Amino acid sequence: MKSPLPDDKFRPHTYDGIQEYDKRLPNWWLYTLYATIVFWVGYWSYYEWFRIGATGSETVTTEIARIEASRLSAAKLDDASLWQMSRNPEFVEAGRTTYVANCGACHLASLRGKAESPAAIGPDLTDTSWVHGGKPTEVYDLITKGVLTKGMPAWGPVLGAKKITEVTAYILSKHKEGEPIVIEKPTPPPVP
Amino acid sequence: MSAQKITIEFNDKVVRQFLLATLIWGVVGMLVGVLVASQLNFWQANFNTEWLSFGRLRPLHTNAVIFAFVGNMMFAGIYYSTQRLVKARLASDFLSALHFWGWQAIIVAAAITLPLGLTRGKEYAELIWPINIAVALIWVVFGVNFFWTLARRREPSLYVAIWFYIATIITVAMLYIVNHLSLPTSFTHSYPIFGGVQDALVQWWYGHNAVAFFLTTPILGIMYYFIPKAAERPVYSYRLSVVHFWSLVFLYIWAGPHHLLNTSLPDWLQTLGMTFSLMLWAPSWGGMLNGLLTLRGAWHKLRTEPVLKFMAAAVTFYGMATFEGPLLSIKAVNALGHYTDWIIGHVHAGALGWNGFMAAGMIYWLLPRLWNKPLYSVGLANVHFWLGTVGILLYVAAMWVSGITQGLMLNATTDNGTVLAYPNFLDTLNSIRPLMLMRVFGGGLYLVGFLVLAYNMWMTLRGASPVNGSIEVFADEEEHAPAEGRLGLLGTVFNPPVLFSVLACGFACVWMFGRDAISIVGLAGTIICTVAAVAHFESRGRAWSDWYERLLLNAAPFSILTFIAVAVGGLIQIIPTVVVQKAANIEDRLQVKYTPLELAGRDIYVREGCYTCHSQMIRTLVPDVLRYGAYSRLGESIFDHPYQWGSKRNGPDLARVGGKYPNVWHLRHMEDPRALSQGSNMPSYAAMLRRDLDVSVLPTKISVQRTIGVPYPAWTAEEIKRNVAEQSAQIAADLKAAGAIVAPEKEIIAMIAYLQVLGKSEPVNKPGTPAQ
Repeated sequence: MKSPLPDDKFRPHTYDGIQEYDKRLPNWWLYTLYATIVFWVGYWSYYEWFRIGATGSETVTTEIARIEASRLSAAKLDDASLWQMSRNPEFVEAGRTTYVANCGACHLASLRGKAESPAAIGPDLTDTSWVHGGKPTEVYDLITKGVLTKGMPAWGPVLGAKKITEVTAYILSKHKEGEPIVIEKPTPPPVP
Repeated sequence: MSAQKITIEFNDKVVRQFLLATLIWGVVGMLVGVLVASQLNFWQANFNTEWLSFGRLRPLHTNAVIFAFVGNMMFAGIYYSTQRLVKARLASDFLSALHFWGWQAIIVAAAITLPLGLTRGKEYAELIWPINIAVALIWVVFGVNFFWTLARRREPSLYVAIWFYIATIITVAMLYIVNHLSLPTSFTHSYPIFGGVQDALVQWWYGHNAVAFFLTTPILGIMYYFIPKAAERPVYSYRLSVVHFWSLVFLYIWAGPHHLLNTSLPDWLQTLGMTFSLMLWAPSWGGMLNGLLTLRGAWHKLRTEPVLKFMAAAVTFYGMATFEGPLLSIKAVNALGHYTDWIIGHVHAGALGWNGFMAAGMIYWLLPRLWNKPLYSVGLANVHFWLGTVGILLYVAAMWVSGITQGLMLNATTDNGTVLAYPNFLDTLNSIRPLMLMRVFGGGLYLVGFLVLAYNMWMTLRGASPVNGSIEVFADEEEHAPAEGRLGLLGTVFNPPVLFSVLACGFACVWMFGRDAISIVGLAGTIICTVAAVAHFESRGRAWSDWYERLLLNAAPFSILTFIAVAVGGLIQIIPTVVVQKAANIEDRLQVKYTPLELAGRDIYVREGCYTCHSQMIRTLVPDVLRYGAYSRLGESIFDHPYQWGSKRNGPDLARVGGKYPNVWHLRHMEDPRALSQGSNMPSYAAMLRRDLDVSVLPTKISVQRTIGVPYPAWTAEEIKRNVAEQSAQIAADLKAAGAIVAPEKEIIAMIAYLQVLGKSEPVNKPGTPAQ
């Protein structure tokens, strides 16, 4: 071996002629190691300890729902597409907001209307009996046009097609496709 | 004191044997590599022969390069350097010869069985169980020979190269045995005892650390011997060796799950896999630094000395690959790069650059010394160097561009992100064909370079006579560690470095896996331990280094501590997943058990190596879901022994292919893929239309499946036969109705049955209770 550079000290031992310096660890190298360790603590805390970050399956579920929603918005409105929307969390959540603000007054926030409180104005929207037809498109039309004689306003001009679609999806989300639809006889007008 | 000197002759015969084997198997492995790479562009390159089909040869390529080429190279390097570093001849000539011939017999057996379709269906663990046992036995022979030699050493202290060799021997044994646990159904077939996610986790704990402890640590040891020898310069930093060795062996084990990012593997494991991969960056670069900085003052020798030229380039490629690895382990990067050619480029930067060039450098160093004759031509060695370097760069660049291009195309959407831009997988495949061709060219250049080496070697060896190295030692020289340096069990455990490490790791685990207050205690404990360790090191650092010097005199305690360091990560990751009831590991879907016919079809799928091109894992990523359907749940592969999640998509994912096409589509497609998929590079599997399915093995197979935990009823052989006959007849009838006449006994019927059941599951309400 050649003589060492002046500032270098050898380790005392030699292996088959191989000598070793004992130089300090480069700072940038050490800080890289420390930085990755700190990153591990932070990343683990964010995702696994405090569970702030969404998991892979949560993220993809939300994203796919968003994509479904935007596909459905473009789709033709019929019973099938309304049923699909009623299973899409984006639609249902948007519908719920609109419902609470506009419909809850008569049908109550629980949607159960008269069934929950006799003082309520609107009928129950969660059971299988319907006054004006329970097919998705019928529900949609009813909200749009209203039944003025019975106190149901026409919401079409107020809310617009998109919001009404969402409200329909929200109501349908409390129902199952294929469940029976019982048409209720309109209650006779109260005797004057 | 007698000063009588004796001469010890090293066993260099076995080194020469391993060296020749390295060259031969290297050429074979690379040749198969060039062939399979060509098949991706020109499917006809399999000559319509089953034995040469991609799915069977790709495992042969990977196994040949890893275990035959690098394996033999590693054994040559370890045996050559260890004898000199410990001043002792290899302990047993018999064990050395057994090791050599046993290993070659294993390679020959692999080269015969893999093309025949005899496989376990797990990457780099394809060899069938009798060969697995042989590998384990020969590895033990290697271990005994090595540690016996250490026990007889005349050099009391262990050099850093030896540390890496110890870590290699211990860890590979651990990984290999666990990942090959299986239950035979015949002399040539077995099912792994782990299934689904458990199998995936164990597989990549093994697969990733085969890269670590078969392709990296032994080669680092070889680097630590040959670079200072060839450069005639001292190793740059002993303390860097200490820090990077221990951090490397400890951290590597945890990083396996980065092969399963964004899959249905539980999130905490993915998080560990990603973060520990990032932490591996610095320890890996520690090795690169010590290799490159050892060349300080010797850089001018690179111009004239091929050995150093190859090794400096190899260490540089090592640095490149170990930077790329952590990068690819970041979940967002992995979402783009995984399943594409980028990964292929990454491993070849390692295999061709790091392993191949280290091998070449070592061969050029050893040839003149083992045969006592100067190298035939330094000029040809330089030609080899440039052919190889250009070859690697072309290869790797082609794969980067190809992988990123295909990844971006697969992920591209239009219409406000609602529609795939390239819904046909083949569009993405055919756009990277020129790059795949460039890869063949780059790999071909590299192979030519190796043939130049072979010629150079041949010309050097002609007329040369082998010579064995020797040293003179004093006859009474201590063969063991001096008594005052002995470390007992207490000395091994009760010392500042070990105690602080164990406590800090323990508290960190409490933090990670504890809940509420307990986890806060864990975090506090970790911080206190770390601060205390730093404080202690600053004030009493002498005690740390003195203890380590003593540890280096004690091979057994050193090996035990190494084993503990490598065992921790695996224990923490694997045990919860394996012990937890399968029922709790299913999310909301449970796969429908295969019928006997479908199981038979699955075994054909495994036999043909379909997993080398098709994954069965729809990741939790929007483009995957848009292309292939709902993301894969754990429960949908829980009965799969072996799991077939795959690691590369040369074709589309098949997790939900069942029911997507009619039976007759699959028939026509397997017979001639291009009849239905224009531009496909899939081989034709027409042989399945001709060959009869072997039903006689099914009763044993199903009974083994029952033993390893698949809830099959206790069918009699007769019932199984009837079941197969009924389902085959149905499929044949359906095919007939569609205008295709196939006898129900043919293999293709089973294959169709299997493909059509992929993705069939039943919803589950609560873990473990199938929904009504």
